[in-house]
Amino acid sequence: MSNIKKIQHKLKKIYPKIKVDEKDECVHLTGELDRWEDIVSLGQAAVSKDFVGVLNDVKLKNFVEPDIRQSAINDKKYDGSNLDVLIIGGGVVGCAALRELTRYDLKVALAEKESDVACAASGRNDGAVHVGIDLHGKSKKLSYLMRANPLYENLSKELDFKFERTGQYIAFSSWKYLVVGYLLLKSRAKRNGIKGMKFISGKKLKQHSPNINPKTKFAFFYPSGGSVCPYGMTIAFADNAVFNGGQVWLNTCVTGMTVENGKIISVQTNRGEVFPKVVINAAGVYADKIAEMANDRFYTIHPRRGTNSILDKSSVEHYGKLSISMYGNHKSNAKLHTKGGGVVSTVDGNLLIGPDAVETPLREEMATTAKSVNTVVDRQQDILPKLSARDIITYFTGVRASTYEEDFVIQMGRKTKNFVHAAGIQSPGLSAAPVIAQDVSDLTVKYLEQFSPVVKNSNFNPVRKGVTELRNLTLAQRDELIKKNPDYGEIVCRCEEISKGEIIDALNLPLKVDTVDAIKRRTRAGMGRCQGGFCQPRVLKIIAETVNKDYSDINKKGDGKIILGKTKGEE
Amino acid sequence: MRREHFDIAVIGGGPAGLAAATVASEKGAKVALIEREPSLGGILKQCVHDGFGVIRYDQKLTGPEYAQKEIDKLNKNETTKFLLTFVTKITKRSSDFVIQFVNRSGADEIEAKKIILATGCRERTSKQIGVHGTNPAGVLTAGTAQNYVNLQGLMPTRKCVILGSGDIGLIMARRLTLEGAQVVGVYEAKSAPGGLTRNVVQCLKDFNIPLYLSHTVTKVFGVDRLNAVEISKVDDKMNPIAGSEQIVECDSLILSVGLIPENEIAKQLCVPLCPYTKGAVVDQTLMTLTDNVFSCGNALHVSDLADYVSESGEIAGAMACAKIKNRNLVNVTKNKNLLYVVPQKINLDAPLDETVFYFRVAEEYENAKLTIYADEKVVFSKKYVHLRPPEMERLKLNLEAYSDCHGFSFVLEVGV
Repeated sequence: MSNIKKIQHKLKKIYPKIKVDEKDECVHLTGELDRWEDIVSLGQAAVSKDFVGVLNDVKLKNFVEPDIRQSAINDKKYDGSNLDVLIIGGGVVGCAALRELTRYDLKVALAEKESDVACAASGRNDGAVHVGIDLHGKSKKLSYLMRANPLYENLSKELDFKFERTGQYIAFSSWKYLVVGYLLLKSRAKRNGIKGMKFISGKKLKQHSPNINPKTKFAFFYPSGGSVCPYGMTIAFADNAVFNGGQVWLNTCVTGMTVENGKIISVQTNRGEVFPKVVINAAGVYADKIAEMANDRFYTIHPRRGTNSILDKSSVEHYGKLSISMYGNHKSNAKLHTKGGGVVSTVDGNLLIGPDAVETPLREEMATTAKSVNTVVDRQQDILPKLSARDIITYFTGVRASTYEEDFVIQMGRKTKNFVHAAGIQSPGLSAAPVIAQDVSDLTVKYLEQFSPVVKNSNFNPVRKGVTELRNLTLAQRDELIKKNPDYGEIVCRCEEISKGEIIDALNLPLKVDTVDAIKRRTRAGMGRCQGGFCQPRVLKIIAETVNKDYSDINKKGDGKIILGKTKGEE
Repeated sequence: MRREHFDIAVIGGGPAGLAAATVASEKGAKVALIEREPSLGGILKQCVHDGFGVIRYDQKLTGPEYAQKEIDKLNKNETTKFLLTFVTKITKRSSDFVIQFVNRSGADEIEAKKIILATGCRERTSKQIGVHGTNPAGVLTAGTAQNYVNLQGLMPTRKCVILGSGDIGLIMARRLTLEGAQVVGVYEAKSAPGGLTRNVVQCLKDFNIPLYLSHTVTKVFGVDRLNAVEISKVDDKMNPIAGSEQIVECDSLILSVGLIPENEIAKQLCVPLCPYTKGAVVDQTLMTLTDNVFSCGNALHVSDLADYVSESGEIAGAMACAKIKNRNLVNVTKNKNLLYVVPQKINLDAPLDETVFYFRVAEEYENAKLTIYADEKVVFSKKYVHLRPPEMERLKLNLEAYSDCHGFSFVLEVGV
């Protein structure tokens, strides 16, 4: 029996109405099903080592996929641009790749459809720098993660983003997992190259965190675990890239491509048609759509939502700084081979809980639901027994760009030669991004060198300075800065203690953004317990004055105006 | 560094802080008044509606007028005012406090023997009450909307839904209507309005703005700007009833879902907070359980009238100047029909002749009887025809006869 026949035979039993055939060395699925979960199960069942990937084109009955969300802007700003490289997608991989490519004397631009970078999964995750204990030994995920994990100390200093090597605990609530847990995790640590695994008694763990679940019997500790500010890191890459000559085109959405003879000739966007020599696909949940445009699709993205909640800072006082996952409690269905969320101690001094995992046909469904928030609270009560929804100050949902093969796709196009894939990037994609970007950059440079030499950018400066956080300085240091710039002495965001000077600094970073949300992510103004209730009018005013725009032209994000006009007396 | 020394540092220049600083300086204390905004008056500055001062001045004043009267009083005596100045840290030492702050001149410190916290309150946010959906522009608290409209002359909405019937929400329903915006309705999860009756009548009924009780907003829609909300009926435990959802088109969701006393500095000073008020636990001098730290105004408990906020500021200011040698604290307890009673303690060694109590009921009651006991002895009793949680009650009692008791209790009997 041929390979495709085997798969046809296997799937026919479960989904008799689905057509299974071979297309471009992939398993191609077509037809219609009533339930999204069946479509996902089908795709998962179709994964085979004998094929490059799964093309799951099965339609969900009565479902029309919404159009890609994009800015209302429609101009010709970038029309006719000739580029060496166009990167599609301003997530962490796209921004890190842009920075890598600015090490060379190349004309590189990044097209991001939103009004800032890191608006999707890169900004909506738990910020964990992973250990890799849960990963398959032969996966790309593991090899990229293991290369990337040790880089964070240097990288975070070089680019001035927040990182902390917190370590990570995996805790167990039953002694029955002791032997099997130890043997399995120890052998996996050895196989995956994870160093420093330590047994921690429940007693010792409780000394560190007296209020964790008293049923915790023991834990393993992995010192290589860490925590990063995910959007902060993405912004840092973008800033450094722009500083070194890279371009970030915000509000720019790719709408089509012209491909001739296995080569992308041009890329169409809402801001004009551009002519790149190479295109990098870092389009996240839309990566398969972009691959299709490039005539080089061999995977399917099945979006998977994940919701995280941030707890009030008082929870750190109660539970201590702790990044931990718990196994073996009756409440959780976790098996030893899934990570399944947990508690993360964030770099900003909060605890974060989550995420859950919900399959969805909607690629951009970032609306939160009470169900997801409650599921995560319920689940993490395994660790933090007194956790309640009242401890939550905010919550957010991101959508993972999972492929059915559940691994990264980092390679040159199979049919289209000037196309680089950086797709299927999900956990531990954030942790792995710096190295994914290096490889994507190497592939790109290697391709370009076939035609002409690529020279280094002699002016490249790897160092980036973010916004100085005055609240972490001593009184004397603060005084000195305020004496130089009085704006540092004018506190605007009272919850997070952010000054006017810091907001103006954020507006002057290399990547120019002027939305309220963009400023919030660069300074934390509006991220505290009042969630911007007091400071938003002042932040709006400072932005309007600094960038010289009218209040009504300052948006929260995208096209979302905050002010809709003037009062009768002011008109 | 040589630090300037004060008898009293008042943190916050709203009505409570103004009154505290005024009284303390009248009594001859050297007072520092620290305010984070460029001008004094606190939230009164943006309350352009009238109704302030009915008790204190026997007049209906607007917020700015009321604030100006208080500022004028303050200016009759000498106080050192630090404006646009933000307190970053207060450290307790053996006999005084060091207050660190920043302003446009630099980062500096002063010393004070006593601290009066008059830090006000903040509004609950959409995330704290579990509003779900997208995160667009157009979700804002009533206070933020009030700031935009009254201080900046900017309209954050043209057609809105207001969630919560707290006083600011009701006031903003009227204000936005007067400015030409359409208020589709005010939705309240509880079965009774959260604001003062006079505001329900004057702000909603008089303007034909519908009030929907036992309804809440369960979801918001719109990616960049809000374009609709989902409204659900709720059961008597305030849980949304499945199947009752309706979509209401609007450009904004304005929230008036409660105020929380702002006590971040109090927490730094390890001041114990009361679970019912979310403000500090205090005795009748408004001293917290951290010696020489006083709390007043909305930071102590959220009042519905500025007049009471000023009164508590005056008490704190006067008592911070009084010579009280000892603290002999007894408890003030309450039964479950009462939401809270302030003060929660009585210092038997401090003046007892003019003890002011503020309390709120847990639910709406008709024909209720309040009895205050000192141990088993009845100190006071009063019948009330009607008591509502949004309307705070105040009592002033002379407790001098009970200076040897072991505690006071407030008992509210209902249906009597």
